[in-house]
This record gives sequence, C-alpha cells and structure tokens, in this order.
Amino acid sequence: MRKQSLIEVSYSKELKGDNTMGEVFFKRFTFNQLVQHWIMIGTFMALVVTGMPVKFPDAWWSPVIINMVGGFEMRTLIHHAAGISMVVLGIYHVTFHVFVDKESLLDRKVWPTLKDAKDFWQTVLFYFGKAENPKYGRYSWKEKFDYWGAFWGMVMLCVTGLIMMFPFIAMEYIPYAYVHLATIIHTDEALLATLFIFIVHWWNVHYSPEVFPMSKAWLTGNLSEEQMKHEHPLEYEEIMRQMRERSEKVPD
Amino acid sequence: MLLIGASVCSLLKKKYAMILIAALILLIPVVSAQQDVSCYHCHTEVVTQFRNNIHYQGGFSCADCHGGVSESNATVISANAMSGNFIGKPSRDHITDICSKCHSQEASDYKQSIHWYAIQKGHPEAATCTDCHGVHEIRAIADNKSSSNHQNSPATCAKCHSNKELMSAWYYGIKADRIDTYKESFHWKALRNGYNVVATCSDCHNNHITKSHEDPSSSTYPDNLPKTCGKEGCHPGTRFDAKVAAGLVHDKESLHTGELVFNQSRLEPQMKAYFLGPFDLAYWIAIFFKILTTGVIGLFAAMVVLDFASRFKIHRRW
Repeated sequence: MRKQSLIEVSYSKELKGDNTMGEVFFKRFTFNQLVQHWIMIGTFMALVVTGMPVKFPDAWWSPVIINMVGGFEMRTLIHHAAGISMVVLGIYHVTFHVFVDKESLLDRKVWPTLKDAKDFWQTVLFYFGKAENPKYGRYSWKEKFDYWGAFWGMVMLCVTGLIMMFPFIAMEYIPYAYVHLATIIHTDEALLATLFIFIVHWWNVHYSPEVFPMSKAWLTGNLSEEQMKHEHPLEYEEIMRQMRERSEKVPD
Repeated sequence: MLLIGASVCSLLKKKYAMILIAALILLIPVVSAQQDVSCYHCHTEVVTQFRNNIHYQGGFSCADCHGGVSESNATVISANAMSGNFIGKPSRDHITDICSKCHSQEASDYKQSIHWYAIQKGHPEAATCTDCHGVHEIRAIADNKSSSNHQNSPATCAKCHSNKELMSAWYYGIKADRIDTYKESFHWKALRNGYNVVATCSDCHNNHITKSHEDPSSSTYPDNLPKTCGKEGCHPGTRFDAKVAAGLVHDKESLHTGELVFNQSRLEPQMKAYFLGPFDLAYWIAIFFKILTTGVIGLFAAMVVLDFASRFKIHRRW
C-alpha cells in the first residue's frame, strides 16, 4: 500500500555456497493486512455455517448443522457475535487505510481503472486463445473485483443485518415492508458472497493449477520472484526500475 | 436358564414340568391382556394404540368413552360389554360431549370456536377433539410424539388446512396455503431446527378458542393482534405499528422469500403502497438483488470454467 512497500524486497537468509544472491521475496501484504484477512476468514466461515441453515431451513442438512453448532440459540449467538466482529473489522479496515495509512487516497492502486475493463476483455480473449494474457500491475481486475465485492457486500450485510437484529427499532424509522426486504437482501447477498468465495476466489487462490494447493501469500505475505514476474509483471518492472534508480543515487 | 431348568427337572418329572412351563408362557399375555383391557380379543389394533394413551396410563378403560360395561376380569368375550349405555363409535358432533365429561373447561372453550360453529352448521368434517389430540392414541401434550405437541402443531393443522378440496368448499373458502406461508416465517425456520419457544399455529390462533380473524373477539382480529404478538413469553413490551397488526400476517410473512414482493398482482390495492413503499421500491430493490446475484455468479463461474478449459489448449500460460 505504501510507496515504500514497492521496494520492500527481502532476501532469504540462507545464502548459497557460490555467494550469489539468495531467493528474493516481494512484500505483497503487510502483517496488519494478513491479520485482517485471517479474522475475515474466521468470521466469514462462522457466518456461512450458522447462516445458511436459516436460508435453507427445509434442507436435510439444516438441522444437522444447527445441532452441530449447539442448537438454534447458540447458532444465533454465534452468528451475531461473528457478524459484529466482522463489522468491527470493516470499521478498522476503513479507518486504518483512510486515516492512518499516509499514502494519498487517489494514489492507491486498488481503484478500478479503464485498464481493468480492457484487461477483463483481454482475459476473455486469452481464454479462447485469441490474445496474450494481460499484464497486471499491483492488482489484477480479478483482485480488485474481489476487494470491492467484499467491500460492498460487507456494507449491505451490515446494514440489513442490523435491521434484522433490531426489527422493531428499525420499524420506527423505515416502513414495515423494508424490514422484510432486508431479509431478502441479506440472504441473497450472503449467498452471492458465499458462492463467489467458494467458486471464484478459491479457484484463483487454491484450485487453479498455477497455485495449487494454495498461494502462500495469505500466510507469509510474500510473493516469490517467479510469481511476481508472471502474475504482476508491471509491478515487478516498476520495482526493478525503482531499485535501479536507488542504487544509482547511492553508489556503494 | 439352563441351570433353573435342570433343577426343576430334577424335582419334577420332566414332561409335567415342560407342560407347566409352556402353559405359563402361553397364558401370561392372554390373561394379562384380558385383565388389562376387555376389548383386546377383537379390537387388538385399537387396544394396542390405546396402550400409548395417557388415559390408559391414568387407569381409564374403553367403557369410559364408549359406554357399556367394562368387565376387566372377563376371561371370555362377554355380550355384556355392549350393554347398558354403550355408544360404539360416537358421531363427530358428539365427540365433544364425551370429552367434556372430564375436560369441561377445554370443551366450553372449544364450543366458542369456529370449528364447533362449522360442525353445528352441518359440516361434520370440521375439527373436533380427536382431530388434534388423536383418537385412541391420545398422548400427553408434552410428549413429542403427540400430534398436539407444540413442535407438531403445524403438521396437525396442515392435515386439514393444506387440503385444497376441503378448504375450497364454498362454505369455507379458506386459503390452503396457510402452512406454506407460515413456513416462510422465521418462526418456522427456528422451529424446524428444534428451537421450541417460537410461535406455531395455536399460539396466535389459540388452541381451543380458534376464531375467525373477522370475529372481533378473536385473538387474530386486527385490533387484538398487538396483544396476541405481545403475549408474555413472546414479544412483550414491543410497540407494534398499528399497520403491522392489520391482518394478512401469513401474506406478510411470504415477504421473506419475496413472493409477495415479486407477485404484485396478489396485493390488495390499498396495501400495495404499504408493502412496496413509494414507487414500488421494494419490488425494484428485490429484483435488483436477484439479478445481481445470478449475474455476478453466472459471469464469474463462466470465467472459472473458461480458465479451466483454456488449460487444455495452452500448456504453458506463462
């Protein structure tokens, strides 16, 4: 996120016998971001497990899951606790990246650009063998969609979730029908998020042959030079350019 | 067993012992059954059901409901069993009379209900005691196998209220989707998953004094709904919007799946603005989210499939 992070390159401690440089790692996520992602995984899974049995109450697995988590009251308790944790996480995330992170908001690499639309189309063509794989910068269009999808989803689920949690208080401010509408939005949006994570996100970071069984970036926060060259070539070039400039400025 | 058998045989001559044991084994069920319930000889199945009846455990016998003479120690079938005030199978409008001999409060409550009203008007298929509590297998309410148990209440009411032919009779004209619309409510979702302290049919409509929602003294009459919903143990102290309680609860519940939102034609004109908000906003928002969900998942699932398929053509993507 920070400019500095672009040139935060660490070397593995084991130097090879011939005294050449060891394997190079590129900082992808800060420890702060990793912890946020871990909390997100925990709360999200808890919410899915305790929420889906109520979205599909007549399914055979619905009572099975409810019994497994300790009954319906416990289900509700877990769902509320995990939901509130996720909301707190979201508030922390926005506060941190807007107020604490020093980089100017407009310079962030995460904003969608016209290039992403072009990349999307080029990816489709690439899948049909009609074009090269698009060259991505720090974030590919898939990653940006992941991020903003989760962002939008959390806002929607938080608002509708609070309405469902306090329906009679909500009814003093909004029409009765909108309280029920909240359940439609909440469950549809949750189903969308669940399917998206299980199909699309897990394909990109777990099942895809490039990373199978998983991309270790979510544990270490690092990418190898090989991965960097192939998945984020533009960012790689940028880092290399900056490093060259730096070494020219400070000759040792 | 073998030891006991051997010792008995050593005391008595072998064949007498064998006959004695065989006779005892044969006699035990016959004698005990006859002593227990006198009608067992012929009405085996009914008596078997009756053994699960709370009244059987309380010491009642067939004659207490069916009349006649109960000869509990009869070892032969007695013609006396059907003498005296024997009723046999009571007609549906007389079942209440039998139960009211002991359950007078429940019977007088029931006699205010719309079910009793229908029976009196000459529609004997309307519910009476046995339809909800069982005929011979009347279990305690707390028994979770009882058809009047809280958990089983929706299924019991659905026996008649989901029967389209019965409900659409001209003298009833009741909607047959009452259970389906109940199932869309959070009450059912929780009940189905074993959470027992939520409302089922009888909690709002009352178990014995079941009245039409058009009857001003009914618990489901619009003006009485805030009180019914705010019952102790349900939602006490909640200030209900007067319109929330304006009836149509089942139809409102179907908002959970969006059926009422999506099917605007089913809405009464004066309720439409209330259900859908200004400019039918609820309808458009619901539609938007349906399209968003299917669209995004469809698009990205297709991308994953394409990605996967492309691997077979392009060996090295990098």
